[in-house]
Amino acid sequence: MTNELIDFVLVSIALLGIGIYGLSVKRNAIRMLFSIEIIINAANLNLVAFGRFLPHSGGQTLALFSIAIAAAEVAVGLSLIIVAYRMYQNIDIADFRNLKG
Amino acid sequence: MLELSSTPLVIIAILGTVGVLLPIISIARKEKGSNSFYAVIAFSALIVSIGYVAYQFISDNILPSALFSKDVLVDDAFGGFFAIAMLIVAIFTTVGSFNYMRKKNYPAVYYSLILLSTIGMVLVAYSTDLVMLFVAWELMSIPTYVLVGFIKKNPSSNEAALKYFLFGALSSAIIVYGISLSYGLTGSTNIGEVIHGYATLDASLLPLALLSVGMFIAGFGFKMGLVPFHQWLPDTYEGSPPTITTLLAAGTKKAGFAATIRVIVLGMVVLNLDWTLALGIIAVMTMTIGNIAAIMQKNLARMLAYSSIAHAGYILIGLAISPYSTLGLQGSLYQIMNHSVMKGAAFIAVTGIVTTLAVTNIDKLKGLGRRMPITSLGLVISLFALAGVPPLAGFWSKIVLFGGALDAGSTIWWAPWLAIAGVLNSALSLAYYGWLTRKMYFEGETEKRVSEPKSVIAIMIFSMIFLVGFGIYPDPIIKFVEFAAPTLSLDIMP
Repeated sequence: MTNELIDFVLVSIALLGIGIYGLSVKRNAIRMLFSIEIIINAANLNLVAFGRFLPHSGGQTLALFSIAIAAAEVAVGLSLIIVAYRMYQNIDIADFRNLKG
Repeated sequence: MLELSSTPLVIIAILGTVGVLLPIISIARKEKGSNSFYAVIAFSALIVSIGYVAYQFISDNILPSALFSKDVLVDDAFGGFFAIAMLIVAIFTTVGSFNYMRKKNYPAVYYSLILLSTIGMVLVAYSTDLVMLFVAWELMSIPTYVLVGFIKKNPSSNEAALKYFLFGALSSAIIVYGISLSYGLTGSTNIGEVIHGYATLDASLLPLALLSVGMFIAGFGFKMGLVPFHQWLPDTYEGSPPTITTLLAAGTKKAGFAATIRVIVLGMVVLNLDWTLALGIIAVMTMTIGNIAAIMQKNLARMLAYSSIAHAGYILIGLAISPYSTLGLQGSLYQIMNHSVMKGAAFIAVTGIVTTLAVTNIDKLKGLGRRMPITSLGLVISLFALAGVPPLAGFWSKIVLFGGALDAGSTIWWAPWLAIAGVLNSALSLAYYGWLTRKMYFEGETEKRVSEPKSVIAIMIFSMIFLVGFGIYPDPIIKFVEFAAPTLSLDIMP
């Protein structure tokens, strides 16, 4: 049984949809962070799948870059969430209402 | 191949070394709070970098705007133009922090993050490969997430940072997805080859190509604050330290425009010219919503945030009409350079006000013209320049932009409407700038003069000279813009 390119792309698009759904429905900061990670991983899946069907390895290289960068981003994001938790004892972003207008 | 003495590599070397060394020095010295020491090091690194860019321009080592290259970076005039604008903003931020960061914790880390973010902004403008563009984009964004939340004990700063982080991370996720689609369609990440691939794409794959360009617009649009993607912007600009707001409003926003010109505008020319109408509609919506929301604000930082949304709309006019008139991109670049100085000066004035008086509410700024005369004068001049009042520098860039829109009217019917919307919006913005000026100079009792931070005074004087000087004698900067603006044609394919 062989895997066609279209299978990978369909899975990737489904993951993109899940990520966007999570971002628009959930209000918990960590859940939103996870949704963003799902979108990034959908893109990585795309890159690796396309790279497999092309004669050079540019896609895999970019996927490695993107994984490393996503890790750095999550480190910053989680530290911001921890600071918020210490201040509010809560990470529901709907409760952060100092700034509005 | 890029030579080792080319501008982007030298800037990476200087700013990167200093940016990495600053925290190490602070650990070795085992002391906190010597803010001015680190500020001076960061400032001199930035001055050396901007000096190197200027030297490269003067000694004619820089290519005229070549938008494509086989390398990942290209040392051309377009990148050099943005490098100068962004280094000016970084210098504003560093100098403005001189007084603001006094008696605050971890100054070494703060300046180091500013330098690293500056490298990212400069590299975005120089990159000609989507991988490089993405890495530079993240190098620009991640330090700013930390900087916005730098005042840990302050709930607003943290809230601003969280909102900014969630939208920023979403924007980079969308950009990677767009890159992955364009890579799959064309088999390359080099921008020139991607666009060449789009031009010869099979018609059945065109919807996917449009989707990828749409994702680039959304991803870059988050950073630029275009209207459907602008919700995070006022909160972040209000809550973050005002010096960092300078970096965001005048710096990272411009990097978004640099990336847009490198990727979208060229892709737009190839794919389908109807995209320009979409950009035109976004431009009008951005201007109008930004200005209308700005009128109702009670907080100075928030008002300037909405005004910077409106200015993203003016700059976008130039991008929308770029295929029809050479004045379009020139006007955009001119407005970008002016907006860096104008908005930078305005937010540094806010920094000065926050440092000495600790207020940003407009009602409490009555009589500011007598309490802090130089800061207020600088603020008023940059506000009027933002509105486009002659003979300040902002007037000429708007003339070029709106003139370009009228010029494009001979080939495309809706272009003059962009100019009309722009002029109406400028008049609208003058209303709230004038209202603020009246509060500052003609209301309130006679307060005593307070001492103003020296670093803020220095920036105010520099920006007043820039805005008035280039307003009266705009020739040098217009020549520079003409040299740096890329010509859009399909003959320059790699």
